Amino acid sequence: MNPRQLRRAVHLLFLAAFLLFTLFPFFWMVASSLKDQTDLLASPPVWAFTPTFVHYAEIWQDDEVSGAIINSLIVASSTTLLAVLLGTPAAYSLARFQFRGKKDLWFWFISNRMISPIVLALPVYLLAQRAGLLDTHLVLILIYLSFCLPIVVWICTDQFRSIPGDIEQAARLDNANHWDIFWRIYLPLGLPGIAVSAIFSFIFSWNELLYALVLTRSDARTAPVIATSYMSGYELPWGKIMATGTVIVLPVTFFALLVSRHMVRGLTMGASK
Amino acid sequence: MEFLKIDNVVKKYGDATVIGGVGLTAREGEFVVFVGPSGCGKSTLLRLIAGLDEVSDGRIHIDGIDVTEVPPAARGVAMVFQSYALYPHMNVRQNMSFGLKMLDTPADEIQRRVAEAARILKLEHLLERRPKELSGGQRQRVAIGRAIVRKPRLFLFDEPLSNLDAELRGEMRVEIARLHQDLGVTMVYVTHDQVEAMTLADRIVVLRGGHVEQIGTPAELYDHPVNTFVAGFIGSPKMNFLSVTVASVEGTVVRVASPSLAGGSATLDLAHPVVARSGDALSLGLRPEHLVPDGPGAVRLATVLDYVENLGGQSLLYTRAAGGEAAICLLQGRHQAARHEAIALCADAAHAYLFDGDGHAL
Ligand SMILES: Nc1ncnc2c1ncn2[C@@H]1O[C@H](COP(=O)(O)OP(=O)(O)OP(=O)(O)O)[C@@H](O)[C@H]1O
Ligand SMILES: [Mg+2]
Repeated sequence: MNPRQLRRAVHLLFLAAFLLFTLFPFFWMVASSLKDQTDLLASPPVWAFTPTFVHYAEIWQDDEVSGAIINSLIVASSTTLLAVLLGTPAAYSLARFQFRGKKDLWFWFISNRMISPIVLALPVYLLAQRAGLLDTHLVLILIYLSFCLPIVVWICTDQFRSIPGDIEQAARLDNANHWDIFWRIYLPLGLPGIAVSAIFSFIFSWNELLYALVLTRSDARTAPVIATSYMSGYELPWGKIMATGTVIVLPVTFFALLVSRHMVRGLTMGASK
Repeated sequence: MEFLKIDNVVKKYGDATVIGGVGLTAREGEFVVFVGPSGCGKSTLLRLIAGLDEVSDGRIHIDGIDVTEVPPAARGVAMVFQSYALYPHMNVRQNMSFGLKMLDTPADEIQRRVAEAARILKLEHLLERRPKELSGGQRQRVAIGRAIVRKPRLFLFDEPLSNLDAELRGEMRVEIARLHQDLGVTMVYVTHDQVEAMTLADRIVVLRGGHVEQIGTPAELYDHPVNTFVAGFIGSPKMNFLSVTVASVEGTVVRVASPSLAGGSATLDLAHPVVARSGDALSLGLRPEHLVPDGPGAVRLATVLDYVENLGGQSLLYTRAAGGEAAICLLQGRHQAARHEAIALCADAAHAYLFDGDGHAL
């Protein structure tokens, strides 16, 4: 084996190990969701088993699960929509205008992401309680927005900055006002960045567990909360938990695959000029 | 009647003065070219005329109206950027119609003007393409087309051809000249390129460090540069400069001495009273194309040949004068000569320039 082949082999080996590490839990979840109770608890684990869909049938009939998925959809889409709606104009102004306090504002957006969420859980709970917002979609949307808005602003500012200034100047000479420029030039050209930040927002709001657990009880419970809610009682219904997990992960996986092309472009943007 | 009038315009970025009080005018239909070294403020001045930047001081008038506070689009100017600055997500047709659409021009009028511009610029078959599917020259034409459709009263070009290869640059230069003739619109054009400046310009503005050094027709700048900077900047290869001292002055006639001159001195008639005194240190300027080896001219340089560059139809002789200055000579045809051969480079006294110690023409 010459050095180049060796390097390639080592490279592939690492890649395989990494894939195993990241994908195995998914495999285990999906596999477990298809096992019956005996196979599930078998030790050592069985690798060859007859798949069964009883757990899926079970959650299909469970109104709580479908209700939670609908809640998750409402919360995640609203958050994403609002984050993009509010974040892109902010990003445009941060990218193109000079104004007082610009640096501070920028730092504020970034520093938001430095605080560990758990630190704020209790104060947020108390605030929500005072405001009478506990167990509502609104409180989740608001709190998720505080996480997603900075991401959108951050990614889109970077994206908008990479649009050559000459193009904006040309548009100004073409009689376009700032709104036209934002709407007709920056939004279409910034689409990759907007898509990436929208995906981040959606996946974040869809997966978020901590605040959903703290702030909801029954009406606004989201999908991840439901999955964990089975974990009380004497017997752990692993099959049902895994099936719920699979159902939760499926839409975001599909969504991410759909836009992965944009995603790669967006993530590497600014890397080469 | 002056169409564009720039009145003592100043532009500062923070503490840095980028344009330090520039004044110039352009007649209606005139082709004005800005030249100057990189960073001298050519683009900045253009952007100030366009209204893309605000002046720190001074006024700008277009067609008799003070437009200093008028927003870019309302000034009736169109600009072609060095980077083309086409909208990447729009096709050629959309790129050209965008400005008209923003003005709420009726659709059939837009259609008509785009078709006309496309015809003039030979873009008809490319209207549905995106910029990235076009060659450099085609992009450039779209950028010009985008300017034409708005029927501006003033065209601004910022080094529009600098991204093109030499051949295409030549073609586009001719097209721009033709466009200027056809449209008869005032144009202000920034370039680094000698040939573009000399061939396109009705008048050239030479800028340095945010100041105007000289304004004049190409011939005026070539024949009567006001200082060594303009003399060195206009003409290619650059003018040769030699240090000389004044030996004697008699009315309009001056005799200068230098070890580089064959016989130690040369006599020049400046045709106007000479404001120099015996012993003054001057610069003697001689253009490479005016030097002829062993020619009849009265100004004779004693030089030694360093090397010869053959350009095909022309040759460049790189020489060193006896006083140590480098001197270049541009010859028609080929020149056969050995290295270190002694050559007398001669120029007509009428083609010799004298500059004082501060670089001002005598
Ligand atoms: N936005 C800005 N802020 C600060 N300085 C600037 C800005 N724009 C330009 N300058 C400075 O102004 C000077 C003139 O710039 P300008 O772009 O007008 O030069 P130019 O003559 O067009 O040069 P080139 O031939 O390289 O295009 C430069 O020194 C540049 O650094
Ligand atoms: Mg420039």
